Amino acid sequence: MSHNAGSPIPTGRRRALVVFVNTIVALIGGALSAVLGAFALGPRGASQTRWSRAGTTADLKPDEPVARVLSVSRVDGWYRARARETVFLVWDGEKTIRAMSATCTHLGCQVRWEAKEKKFRCPCHGGVYAADGSVLEGPPPRPLQTIDARIESDSSVLVRL
Amino acid sequence: MKLLFEWLHARTGYRGGVRVMLDEPLPPGTGWFFTLGSVLLALLSIQLLTGAFLTLYYAATPDHAYDSVRFIDALSAGRIVRGLHHYGASFIVVALVAHMLRVIAFGSYKPPREVTWLSGLALLALILGFSLTGYLLPWDQRAYWATVVTINISKLTPLGGEVVAGILRGGSTIGALTLTRWYGVHVIFFPAALVLLIVGHLFLMRRHGISGPVRSRTGPSFAFFPSQAARDVTMVSIVVVLLVAYAWHGAPPLEGPADPTDATYTPRPEWYFLGLFQLLKYFPGKWEVVAAMIVPGLAAAFLALLPWIDRGSDRALPKRRAILSVVAIGFISVAVLTTLGWRDTPSSAASHDSWTLREIGGRIYAQKLNCTKCHAETGLADALEGGPSTRGPEWIAGHIADPEMIAPGMREPPTTIHEREAAAVAAYARRAARDPYPGYPPNIELIAPVWARYCVGCHKIEGDGGTDGPDLTHEGTKHDAATLRRWIEDPEQVDPDADMPAFGDRLNEAQLDAIAQYLASRK
Repeated sequence: MSHNAGSPIPTGRRRALVVFVNTIVALIGGALSAVLGAFALGPRGASQTRWSRAGTTADLKPDEPVARVLSVSRVDGWYRARARETVFLVWDGEKTIRAMSATCTHLGCQVRWEAKEKKFRCPCHGGVYAADGSVLEGPPPRPLQTIDARIESDSSVLVRL
Repeated sequence: MKLLFEWLHARTGYRGGVRVMLDEPLPPGTGWFFTLGSVLLALLSIQLLTGAFLTLYYAATPDHAYDSVRFIDALSAGRIVRGLHHYGASFIVVALVAHMLRVIAFGSYKPPREVTWLSGLALLALILGFSLTGYLLPWDQRAYWATVVTINISKLTPLGGEVVAGILRGGSTIGALTLTRWYGVHVIFFPAALVLLIVGHLFLMRRHGISGPVRSRTGPSFAFFPSQAARDVTMVSIVVVLLVAYAWHGAPPLEGPADPTDATYTPRPEWYFLGLFQLLKYFPGKWEVVAAMIVPGLAAAFLALLPWIDRGSDRALPKRRAILSVVAIGFISVAVLTTLGWRDTPSSAASHDSWTLREIGGRIYAQKLNCTKCHAETGLADALEGGPSTRGPEWIAGHIADPEMIAPGMREPPTTIHEREAAAVAAYARRAARDPYPGYPPNIELIAPVWARYCVGCHKIEGDGGTDGPDLTHEGTKHDAATLRRWIEDPEQVDPDADMPAFGDRLNEAQLDAIAQYLASRK
């Protein structure tokens, strides 16, 4: 391959052609990379939440957190999975209800309600929360996450998960 | 930067490789006709890249393939990437045929380039294999039914037809095993073969040099870079702009999810197989093998043997009239057959736009059964219309019969529902997932549930329904409304030997009137 690149084309024209070829190649390559890059980043936006039924107020005790295990549909790309989630429902005995996630804000273990002490305890690293979910002791950085909840006219309880 | 490249060159000598690529000596007179190979190379690279990225989201199982393709369409740039891959396949076929015709016209397959020619033909076969296997992957109606046809054609293979069909199918029916098999072939086996063949093809091209114009010109040879490279990238950019326009403008097609029970679907192949599709129509019955195997086989053999049929070293066109006429006739025949196949759209494909009575009836039942209490925009479950619900008919039927079983703790105890009502709701759910309800006049909404509950088991309208009774698509040409009404009320009153049960006690006056008038209006 001793062919000489020194072609009969004049230098100016040659330079223009080189710029042309490189520009087109860069444009096509750049556009393709941008499109494929955007595509590879995946879906944007938070996952959808939806109201789920969590029993009725008849199952609850006033001012006492009650654990409820709910089966929620989780959208994972094109896949729909049913996940089980534990929430604590705190009913004031009348019209308002609070819902808290049972997931410890430290490392994600499931907290338990200790009825005698009126505290949530995490079995993993000793996190302790008050009945309203605020941190009392231990490593948790934040209070238990609150979840939207409401009572329907027929006294059924809905939580948004 | 410069220092880095210097260092890299000192360690690898990469500039030598680049020089070898760019300084390819070309014979004088090499021009625009010789850019098609680069166009193909660019299109194939785009195809490999977009294909590789599509695998990030695609799932090759019958349960999820369709959903994952819909998900891809909803992603940012998803339609573009899938569009580039979908239309890219067609572009490759066009560019490949153009490249091949150029090679034939210029006699470039003549010695010493016979093996280059054969490797090109192998690439053509491989590309068609790619499009055949890729067609199944979206797992929509088109994909499924086109594959049914492909596999049935493969049974015509002389000697082991069943064996070939079995290998293509993977399992005893077209299903999960077919999909994983075709997917594996499409994304691993074929691309590997493609890369090897392209490398071989390019190696041979460089070994013999390109053939150049038919009449060799005198003068010094010139380097590929930059003047021929400029022609190549000009052509490539025109083709890429066209491809992007296609991908941008037309979303790649995706029909309803594959439904092996839907006998009303008329499959159509991708356009470049329409010629073969049309040819099959002229050879019915036992002659089918002629169109499916013998004609394509002879064409392939002719092309493969071309360097030995068209002997002699003279590449000039006037000296090769006979051969070029044969090729021209072949090409024109394929073009004519493709056009005929294109224009011959089956009538049922058009009527597929309107909803069947069963689907409309299913919508009425879904409202009556309080499905929309949960299945609503703000409800506990996905809305029935416009949602991505793509469950199979069995799943939907099971869910309708006993929602508790599939969605525990999510709703009221199920109401009992007749099997045919459940089938109608299932048909509705599947339809509603892809098309919005177009709205039908009250008389249609009145008879649709009746039809879906009582008539559809035995009678067909526009391809949907049972076959125990006559097809009622054109019933209005046979009977008037009054006769039909008496017949439906009590068939024995009209014909003592009638097999059909009486419906007078099951339908009210308004329903009897409406269904009789509807059937009488079907001309």
